[in-house]
Amino acid sequence: MDELDKFKKEWQSREQELPKISYNDIYKMLLKKSSSIVKWIFIISVAELLFWISLYFIIPEDNIKLMHEMGIGKILYYSNIVHFSVFGIFIFFFYKNYQSIQVTDNTKMLMNSILKTRKTVRYFVYYNVSMFILSSIVIDFFFYSNSSKLYEVMDFASKGVPEEGFANIFIITQIIVGIVVIGLLVLFYWLVYGILLKRLKSNYRELEKMED
Amino acid sequence: MNKELEHSFVIQLEKNQNIAHKICRLYTNDQDSHNDLFQEITIQLWRAFPKFRGDSKFSTWMYRVALNTAITLYRKSKRQISTQDFEGVSFKIKAEEYDDTIEQQLKLMYGAVKKLNDIDKALVFLYLEDKSYREISETLGITEVNARVKMNRAKEKLRKILNP
Repeated sequence: MDELDKFKKEWQSREQELPKISYNDIYKMLLKKSSSIVKWIFIISVAELLFWISLYFIIPEDNIKLMHEMGIGKILYYSNIVHFSVFGIFIFFFYKNYQSIQVTDNTKMLMNSILKTRKTVRYFVYYNVSMFILSSIVIDFFFYSNSSKLYEVMDFASKGVPEEGFANIFIITQIIVGIVVIGLLVLFYWLVYGILLKRLKSNYRELEKMED
Repeated sequence: MNKELEHSFVIQLEKNQNIAHKICRLYTNDQDSHNDLFQEITIQLWRAFPKFRGDSKFSTWMYRVALNTAITLYRKSKRQISTQDFEGVSFKIKAEEYDDTIEQQLKLMYGAVKKLNDIDKALVFLYLEDKSYREISETLGITEVNARVKMNRAKEKLRKILNP
């Protein structure tokens, strides 16, 4: 393309028109903090990991007591051991992938390692959401089929809740709460991905396209 | 030791700062964003500097880190999306050297390059900097054949923008 080559000559001959930053000003910049996307991804990812892990520590005493009284305390205990082992594995991979992000890699590799780091956290969230849904279904089903015991354990009679239709109301409430929680999570991730990764993903796709 | 490293880094960046400025001009649309990006490039270069072994030229190494920062790490601010300040591109021409037509053509070309997507912009930038297809492919992490194909497509896009 003649026009681009003509432009190339001009481009190279006009370097003196570029701004000049002094030695001292460059020196000052070394002390400034980065605001790169990698930093934000790290902060958000650590916050997510902490959020999901902390959920297991803030389960109200009453809930734990209820589980024990319903006879599923032991199952809960063992499933928590499995959970925390899985958390450990995720944190290991997150750290390993995060460490592999190097600005000195080629563009495609750099994008790939950022996306891989994010993917680890995404799978971590998928894991948690699936476990949340799965355990809700199992527990709700268990409560539903043992509703009279639940009615007794939670002492609904003294609170004036009629036993008739109680199981249905209980299960519907659980389902609605579950849907709202999942809806909020989807919204949160849609925003996080929309803000942080839209440009990176489209650039990565652009690079991939060349490999066709 | 650290002072020595800082000094050697700042000296080299000061000497090669044009590379970063040219990238900043292509990837931002106003002076504040230009300065933001320049600062982020400086920070990223400085962080990576201890691993710079000197087996390649500082400038070669800088192209990669600076482009990676502009394309991947830098978060564009909102004001950039709304402004299309091609006038601010600053091709200040000395009247006796160039006539208005050339000036106009250059402005149009610069505007067209700025309209390309981030990846095409990087390809065109490296081409304008007279980099070989091998260097372009190594910087972006694609094959040489693909770099050529993509470059031809980018040229085609430029032609279409200039002659709609």
